[in-house]
Amino acid sequence: MTTDMPPILQIDNLYKSFDNATILKGVSLRLHQGEIKVLIGPSGSGKSTLLQCINCLTYPDEGEILLDGRVVDRTSKISLCRLRQEVGMIFQDFNLFDHLTALNNITIPLRKVKKIGRREAEKRARLELEQVGLADKTELYPAQLSGGQKQRVAMARALAMDPKALLLDEPTSALDPELIGEVIAVIKNLAARGMTMLMATHQISLIATLANEILFMEQGSIVEQGHPSVLLAPGSNSKSQGFCDRLNELSDGKR
Amino acid sequence: MPSSISTVIDALPYLMSGFFNTAAIVLAAMFFGLLLGVNIAVGLVYGNRILRFFLGLYVWFFRGVPVLVLLFLFYFGLFPYLNLPFNALVSVSLVLGMTTGAYQANIFKGAILALPHGQFNAASALGMSHFQTIRTIILPQALRLSVPAWSNEYSIILKDSALAFVIGAPEIMARTQFVASRTYQHLPLYIVAGLLYFLLTWLGVAALRYFEQRVQIPGYSHHGLQ
Amino acid sequence: MIRICFLLLSIVLFTTNQASAADKLLNGIDANFPPFAFIDKTGQPSGFDVEAMNWIAEDMGVEVSHQPIEWDGIITSLLTKKIDIIASGMSITAQRAKQVNFTLPYWIIKNVFVVKKDSPLTVDTLLKGKKVIGVQQGTSEAKWLKEQITAQHFNYELKYYNSSPLAVEDLLNGRIDAAAMNDAPAMDAAGKKAVQVLGSIGMPQEDFGYAVRKEDSELLDRVNTSLKKLMASPHWEVLKNKYELNK
Repeated sequence: MTTDMPPILQIDNLYKSFDNATILKGVSLRLHQGEIKVLIGPSGSGKSTLLQCINCLTYPDEGEILLDGRVVDRTSKISLCRLRQEVGMIFQDFNLFDHLTALNNITIPLRKVKKIGRREAEKRARLELEQVGLADKTELYPAQLSGGQKQRVAMARALAMDPKALLLDEPTSALDPELIGEVIAVIKNLAARGMTMLMATHQISLIATLANEILFMEQGSIVEQGHPSVLLAPGSNSKSQGFCDRLNELSDGKR
Repeated sequence: MPSSISTVIDALPYLMSGFFNTAAIVLAAMFFGLLLGVNIAVGLVYGNRILRFFLGLYVWFFRGVPVLVLLFLFYFGLFPYLNLPFNALVSVSLVLGMTTGAYQANIFKGAILALPHGQFNAASALGMSHFQTIRTIILPQALRLSVPAWSNEYSIILKDSALAFVIGAPEIMARTQFVASRTYQHLPLYIVAGLLYFLLTWLGVAALRYFEQRVQIPGYSHHGLQ
Repeated sequence: MIRICFLLLSIVLFTTNQASAADKLLNGIDANFPPFAFIDKTGQPSGFDVEAMNWIAEDMGVEVSHQPIEWDGIITSLLTKKIDIIASGMSITAQRAKQVNFTLPYWIIKNVFVVKKDSPLTVDTLLKGKKVIGVQQGTSEAKWLKEQITAQHFNYELKYYNSSPLAVEDLLNGRIDAAAMNDAPAMDAAGKKAVQVLGSIGMPQEDFGYAVRKEDSELLDRVNTSLKKLMASPHWEVLKNKYELNK
């Protein structure tokens, strides 16, 4: 880890409440280039809220977000726009633009945000779709795609913006089991290419094999963090271990 | 009664020009209302509290006051007071436009709110500005959802346009009355007037249905939200 | 798309017509008032007052056009400058003279009852026999009839209509017992439908005059001059014959 460079993302002491319920209680973390950190924990622990606060889809009540060592000014539209271009997001429900083809889902943000011309945007869009294995689906609409295909288009869309880091909010949770594999393959591919990621997930394979660090959240705080080889080692008795065991039981039960 | 039929046939060209005037009024009003309605809806959904208050007032006023009263209010009252030389045709179009704008605002607002919130989030997460998101992501979808309700609004405005005769606009109703006053053949003439309105309704609704099919998003079920 | 809309809107707005350019006169008419003002078979305004006004305008050296307006709002239209003159069978009354100026009178008008052709009704029965009488809204006869209910202890019920032809229609439908209106349109109706003129309603006769805004004194003078000429000319008889006003 190159520690003399500032982390791509630094989150300091984030607090967030909704209607008198405190969802995030002073969460801090750092994400350096090339790192893959995985957030796990029971539902309601604040994982989604944390991710949404990082790119300011939801505004934190307190705390700072630093991009490349510089504090993000939440009141400045330019600042926010830059943050969102550098940090992409993948949603649990895909959130593709339903009225646009797969191709245009990617070209529209490119043209509007990066101000790229139409031809160039289309070229880039085709490239990204090819990379996720959907080269032949460019003219299809989201309603005509399977869940796994939709998520892959969403990833292509996020990647086309050349982000420095990706936030993934339970990318496979809304998918049928047989479709999870194709999305995991794309994520693993990204990891191999060195993409920096902060991911909330229940998928054991991602937790165990990809994570550089596991962050276990409970009731709005990170209560445990460490390398999977440590936390998930047999006999470690960590909270993460306990959680993953329960996940394993559930997925075994499904088969 | 042959005399009534010949009366009607003789009067047809005159009534038909009233037909085209009515069509012009309705088209002008609907498009003006569309412009107003979309902007007001966006303001109502995304605007700040002050904006929402004033827009809400507008909607409440134009939905609450009968069109007939509005016609008199504007044609005999406000327009002369503000020295605006609008003739009857223009006045009707404007008043109906403002009225349908209020109703359309509610239609579009409902459609915008019916969209999954994730659409807006995804656009923001990609770095798109509010304005870009509303124009390229939200409105195209909301407008498609609104076509059936808009079609309904069209037939309502068409019927309301008949009120224009009270301020002397040369549309179907006024013209039918003039011929009836001269010839006293009320029954056959008003039947024809009714048919002309029916024809306009049918044409408009058919055109909108065709439009709805053409802009339909492939694969989307009817009013389908996943 | 938005640009097209703005274009459309501005086209619509700019084809508005202004009332009174210096040499153009806009005459407001009640187009449901044959034989004084109505729309003819070809869709053009026509009638005794329309043609008289055409002659007067030519004499004055100005253009005239005729605009159908709801009778009830015709004075308001004049006052708000949507029209410049009212030449459409308007009775000169003291109340109206408070708001507008009238030309010299050009026609004497009596108000009559119209009943179904074979009706046994008499004027007396209509006035005192608890009947229903239809009349055009905003007319001097409507006002008179209303006042007489208390003044002369009459007991008819009044029903108001947008135009006298509509009252005649409802008479034929049996909804009213008689329609009250000016004698000329009454004769017109009697010639076209199964109705007859019963006789005067008892109202003192009135005069027709053209109406202009109070501040248009020059216009009033010019119209009066030309009107005098018209009434002294043979064309006046021609018009009277054409519209069968000599009966």
